Amino acid sequence: MAERVVAALQRRPRREREEEVLVWPDLVFVEFISAVLFTVSLVVLSVFINAPLLNRADPDTTPNPSKAPWYFLNLQELLLHMEPAWAGVIVPTILLIVLAAVPYWDRSNEQQGVWFGTANSVRLTIWGMGVGLFGTIWLIIYDGQKHVEWTENIIRGLGLNRDFTWPGGLDWARDLRSLDTRINWDDLSFTIGDFKMFQDWRAIPLGIPGTTEDPWLLNLNFPSFLSQQLIPVATMIGLPVLLYLFTRHKLGWIYSRRDTAILIFSGFIATYIVLTAVGQFFRGEAQELRAPWDIVVVEE
Amino acid sequence: MATAERPPARGFNEQLYDLFFNNYIWKSIFRSGYPNTPRNQMLVVATNVFLHLHPTRIHRTHVKITHTYCLGGLTFFMFLGLTVTGVLLMFYYVPSVERAYADIQALETNVRFGSLMRNLHRWMAHAMIITVLLHMMRVFYTGAYKPPREFNWVVGVILFILTLLLSFTGYLLPWDQLAFWAITVGTTMVGSAPILGDESKFLLLGGFSVGPNALIRFYTLHVIALPLLAAIFMAVHFWRVRRDGGLARPL
Repeated sequence: MAERVVAALQRRPRREREEEVLVWPDLVFVEFISAVLFTVSLVVLSVFINAPLLNRADPDTTPNPSKAPWYFLNLQELLLHMEPAWAGVIVPTILLIVLAAVPYWDRSNEQQGVWFGTANSVRLTIWGMGVGLFGTIWLIIYDGQKHVEWTENIIRGLGLNRDFTWPGGLDWARDLRSLDTRINWDDLSFTIGDFKMFQDWRAIPLGIPGTTEDPWLLNLNFPSFLSQQLIPVATMIGLPVLLYLFTRHKLGWIYSRRDTAILIFSGFIATYIVLTAVGQFFRGEAQELRAPWDIVVVEE
Repeated sequence: MATAERPPARGFNEQLYDLFFNNYIWKSIFRSGYPNTPRNQMLVVATNVFLHLHPTRIHRTHVKITHTYCLGGLTFFMFLGLTVTGVLLMFYYVPSVERAYADIQALETNVRFGSLMRNLHRWMAHAMIITVLLHMMRVFYTGAYKPPREFNWVVGVILFILTLLLSFTGYLLPWDQLAFWAITVGTTMVGSAPILGDESKFLLLGGFSVGPNALIRFYTLHVIALPLLAAIFMAVHFWRVRRDGGLARPL
């Protein structure tokens, strides 16, 4: 790889003096002007908008909702949909490692130094961001039971059935946690041969040797594991993979690793922004989904 | 009979210029002449410790605003601004549970420009996170992480993490309800990590919940440990930009 880069660099004319400009004044002045512009606008901003300062910290009075700083609200938002260990630590760690590893995976050195170098990169960016945007919003709506509320309101509003409520048979589809809480798992035991499978789904004996002190590894609470770990993780891995396969084989837009990287990175950026914005603007009391103007902080 | 040639008479302006810029002391500080010739323009960059972060010449396309939108430079600018306003804030702030909140209140009401300094520090911190993210997007969409710049992208990811940590540790310092509960929520997330969760949380807070130990730890991390670390990685980042051939451009 290094040889190829060196060879490519040597192929180009050794000094393209006519293509170069002097850093002083051409670059230094641009930097100076942008520094002045930002100094002035930040000072103006700081004159008119004060940094927040609430009451003195009081460990006995919890504000509801309590929120992390805005740049961590994406993680706090994830926290509402899955096991805290995944949302708060494992997912961000893996994401940062994957992010850092991008250049070691996409090693072609073509199309560098120009915006959207590959033929399909603009449409891949828009498509990836669009899917990330609407996909994440839809998932949040689902897990916030908004689809239940809206379906009920629409059917009642249209006058089709004034007393319509979400059908009991679909209770498991209210949100992710309903898979755990609204299904009677005791009824779901079955037999294979002589074995009666899982009389108690909430305490499946794993019996991993040497883990006697950790109840989680001793007995698996399957419904909780399914709704808080298996499905969220499968979603986070599966949807990007599906997006990649669809874009590659159905749309035919992907010709290189660079294209894949653009698609997935764009989806990630949109997801990141949606999670942050929802956490910041749409989470009210008890972290319920609310319109931004309905959010009040209660101290209790 | 030959007459001795005399240099042309020098006007008042030239004499004044020489008085200020051609004297012994000025020349001992700035070795190059006024940058009005290409030679001096290159020398002024090459002989100045701050300007020599740049090369002396740069490709025409790289000074176009739309190529980089100055985002990396703006991030560095925010870091410098945060250092200046942060030092000023340190004069008035004592990181103890008894004093912290009162110090911030005093800063807002009793200290001349105190409120302005605090506001600037806050908004620049937010702006820095945004510019870091935008800079990362710029580098990604221009393919500037490609060989031979792989490692500098990794350094960039580390700097992104350091920026978040810098902002997060600063968030606790005003010791108001916003600070206290945001850090409580944030450190609870750390505590949920598998295997080393409780240990990391204890290490970070110096206890089981946010208290005096957490305040002094966050303060120390915020004002010395993390800025030093960030400065080191920034030095590597900028050095590698130069070593890897400046900004990326088509081969």
